[in-house]
Amino acid sequence: MKNIYQPELMDVASVQRHTADVKSVKVRFRDADCAQQFQFRVGQFGIFSAFGYGESVFNICSSSTWNDGLEFCFRKTGRVTEALWEIEEGDTIGFRGPYGNGYPVEAWKGKNLIFLGGGIAMPPIRCAIWYALENRADYGDITIVYGARTVADLVYVNELDEWAKRERVRVIRCVDPGGETPDWTGEIGFVPTVFERAQIAAADSVALVIGPPIMIKNTMPVLDRMGLPRASVYTSLENRMKCGVGKCGRCNCGPVYVCKEGPVFTMEELAALPQDY
Amino acid sequence: MSEVFEPRIVAFVCNWCTYLGADLAGTTRLEYPANVRIVRLPCSGRIDFNLLIKAFEIGADAILVSGCHPGDCHYNTGNYHARRRWMVFRPLLEVLGFDMRRLHFTWISAAESRKFQQTVKQVVEETRQLGPYQYPTLPTASSGPGREPQKNHFDPETARQRARALLEAKEVDVVIGYGSSGPVFVRRPEDVDRITCEDTRLNLATYLGRKEVRAMGRVAILTKPMDAGALVVLERESQIESGAVKTIPIGEPGTGTFADLDALLALPPDERMAWWAGEFSRCTRCYACRQVCPMCYCERCVADKNRPVVIDTSPTPVGNFAWHVTRAFHLAGRCVGCGACNHACPVGIDLRLLNMAVHRAVDQNFGFNVGADPKTESPIGSWAPADHEEFIR
Amino acid sequence: MSEFITSDNLRQLAAEWIAQGIRVAGPQRAGGRVLYLPLNDAANLLLDGFIHPANSAKEFLLPKTETLYGYRVEGHDIKLVEEAEAETPQILLAVRPCDVAAFPFLDHIFNWDYADEPYNQRRRNTAIVALSCSTHDANCFCTSVGLGPASERGADVLLVPLTGDTLEVRCVTEKGRSLFAGKTKSDNVAAMSAAGPAPRFAAEAVRKFSAANFEHPLWAEHALACVGCGACAHTCPTCHCFDIVDEHSARVRNWDSCQFSLFTLHAIGHNPRPDQGSRQRQRILHKFSIYPDKFGEILCTGCGNCTRNCPAGLGVLPLLIAIEHEEHLPA
Repeated sequence: MKNIYQPELMDVASVQRHTADVKSVKVRFRDADCAQQFQFRVGQFGIFSAFGYGESVFNICSSSTWNDGLEFCFRKTGRVTEALWEIEEGDTIGFRGPYGNGYPVEAWKGKNLIFLGGGIAMPPIRCAIWYALENRADYGDITIVYGARTVADLVYVNELDEWAKRERVRVIRCVDPGGETPDWTGEIGFVPTVFERAQIAAADSVALVIGPPIMIKNTMPVLDRMGLPRASVYTSLENRMKCGVGKCGRCNCGPVYVCKEGPVFTMEELAALPQDY
Repeated sequence: MSEVFEPRIVAFVCNWCTYLGADLAGTTRLEYPANVRIVRLPCSGRIDFNLLIKAFEIGADAILVSGCHPGDCHYNTGNYHARRRWMVFRPLLEVLGFDMRRLHFTWISAAESRKFQQTVKQVVEETRQLGPYQYPTLPTASSGPGREPQKNHFDPETARQRARALLEAKEVDVVIGYGSSGPVFVRRPEDVDRITCEDTRLNLATYLGRKEVRAMGRVAILTKPMDAGALVVLERESQIESGAVKTIPIGEPGTGTFADLDALLALPPDERMAWWAGEFSRCTRCYACRQVCPMCYCERCVADKNRPVVIDTSPTPVGNFAWHVTRAFHLAGRCVGCGACNHACPVGIDLRLLNMAVHRAVDQNFGFNVGADPKTESPIGSWAPADHEEFIR
Repeated sequence: MSEFITSDNLRQLAAEWIAQGIRVAGPQRAGGRVLYLPLNDAANLLLDGFIHPANSAKEFLLPKTETLYGYRVEGHDIKLVEEAEAETPQILLAVRPCDVAAFPFLDHIFNWDYADEPYNQRRRNTAIVALSCSTHDANCFCTSVGLGPASERGADVLLVPLTGDTLEVRCVTEKGRSLFAGKTKSDNVAAMSAAGPAPRFAAEAVRKFSAANFEHPLWAEHALACVGCGACAHTCPTCHCFDIVDEHSARVRNWDSCQFSLFTLHAIGHNPRPDQGSRQRQRILHKFSIYPDKFGEILCTGCGNCTRNCPAGLGVLPLLIAIEHEEHLPA
């Protein structure tokens, strides 16, 4: 019987560098059966191995309708991500998953979608955006507000351009005050401020908000003022993980295991949890 | 035809002398066996003791450590630091049962290509005769019932009176004492009866580094006879100010003995190491020994370092030897013999013996008294022209 | 009618098992303590003279270190090296009921939605012979968590000591019956089990308090003495939290502890549990609130090991008693 901790071997198909410390990687299953059978729900995560260094948890940031493999995006921060930083096309890494609950894309059908993200939080939002665009008829207006500390810290910028061209999609890009370059044509300000300025309609909407805790903390009042109920605002939590399958006992936030019952929560659910994240 | 055993030798050498000596041997076509893998470091003083353990872990059959002659160090005094380090480290390895015939130390200058050639040839041949090194040895089937931890009894009354006096006079904000089960943190004079001195396993100086305790203000701690030395060491290492912590002594000093250590040293090395392997086979890396030690005050321990991994975190034979060697050696000239680590170990590993090994090495070689004047230099951080050894060729 | 065996015959039986190549483990003296260890010589097996070994028997089902799989780096390629299956049968002998009662918890967690095959392999190959307690100490509280000195939960066989050198043999499962078939004598006498400690706290009161008081000064006050080691978690029969690391070309699983400062540390430096108070709170919550809410049972068997082994005399019992009475520890 399969050892649940044993990863699938993945071939690195391509590596894209986004910023001074952020890269995204496309990988393919080496095993043809796996490649054919693999499915995941958008918003789920995987545990990726740099053999010899360890495993790290990343959201699977490709849309679940793109079948050529998986994509993940990471910032070079610690031991494992430093090792992943060095990989090239043709290298081998490991993957196990998909884990977690994913976004409730069925429940979102018929709604207008508001995506709010900061910095390295774009990848878990990106997969949801692509999913919505690939199932365009199921969803209403799409608003994307994405910001970073400086222009150089924005990731997936070429896709932001492409999304802006799509039907009923509004893309607002921003950088923190002082982070703009002379030729910057986007907004200047923190994501919550810029979002409020944009005066998005709240009717029939759900929002996905991912970013550093301070950004989420400051965005919630704006969404409240807009009249968006907390049960319609979603986020994806992070916690230190090892097993990903609810056994190693470390990722719990109070009674909830982020790896199994999360990482996607509504703000209403999150408010009921203790401050354990 | 049977295969000849080719020993694998790792040589840790300094860049400015021995490495150039080896290089000169090469350029002048002095042949030496290919069995040696040279690891070049800037200075012999940079050769961390962990590197030697690492070399054995990955399969070295013998190790050569070499640097500039005393007086010739490119960095002036790096090799003096190295010499002192090895004077303390070797006795620890001996107690652990390492095969000391596989550990060689030399001074080889940039001109001494012939000495390098001859040293390497000699080390290779000697190691070939010894055969491959099995490190670590397999544990003895049973390491015996072991020693039961000693429970000492202390009368709490004098301590209570002193604690009450200090608190009433507002000379301290908290007295940390011994209660019926673990420590008590007494902040009001009327609570001093919580000090019962029943569970005295800990060295209370270990709480001085905690931010929660610092936030309480001025501290007094009860000290058993060996505990107070910890304050001297903490002051020596600039962790506390002189006179900042008041002590309330309890109990009478006893006399220590090295008898158990000598009994262990009477065993042949491989039996010694097998005994330690048996002790360490019980270790789960709970780090109780580290957490109770007042001298282990690093916010992040080298055992928790992962860029790079210096000590395996896994409680395997290799990982546990690496951890215990490190813990013991980091206590050289610092351990005050309070025994808290021994009491804390849930599985009863006799850690005293390791602490005693480095303590005796420091005492015998440098006449250093750990609990005396805090202004004396720590022995591991310093060196003296008078340092004398006979193991560096 | 009950079945009986003398302690001599039991040791003789253990010697036979060892000779057959079965891995036998049980309480023995080592390091000045009594510990559950692999038994090489049946004469070393202890059947009395101790309350509870300083460690727990879980290490024979969930080893302190375990290679999940190996790998070889070959240029750009990686070859995985699967671990050989753990086929060796093992018998855990003379294990206290509070250790044995923990095994069903481990079975549940290691099969919660995902089947942990390394664990299950070992479990399938293990038979458990429990040894009832004749007495207890101040740290025992099995009766406060729904267990007792003669609990058969998780056991294949329960041995109950009588006076003299005889033990009653109560076979609970088929596996147990096959172990002792033909090795016992029948008699009409029934062994009387020890009463066990008086209840020390009300578990429901603890659960209610913990669930409602995430931010309470009690956690930090209690944790002041905690030095942040893993002695409690490593010697606890139900603690199963583990770490996964890459060492020596293998992916390895090791015991971990929620009391270590690195347990929940994010790579970015943020730590949701940055002090000992929040870490101690997690331990109590996990065992007495979270696990009961999720799975209906308390994740603790009242063995007392955490308090016995804690260098600072803590463990869960002092805090549970304090919580029930909502006492602040005196300033």
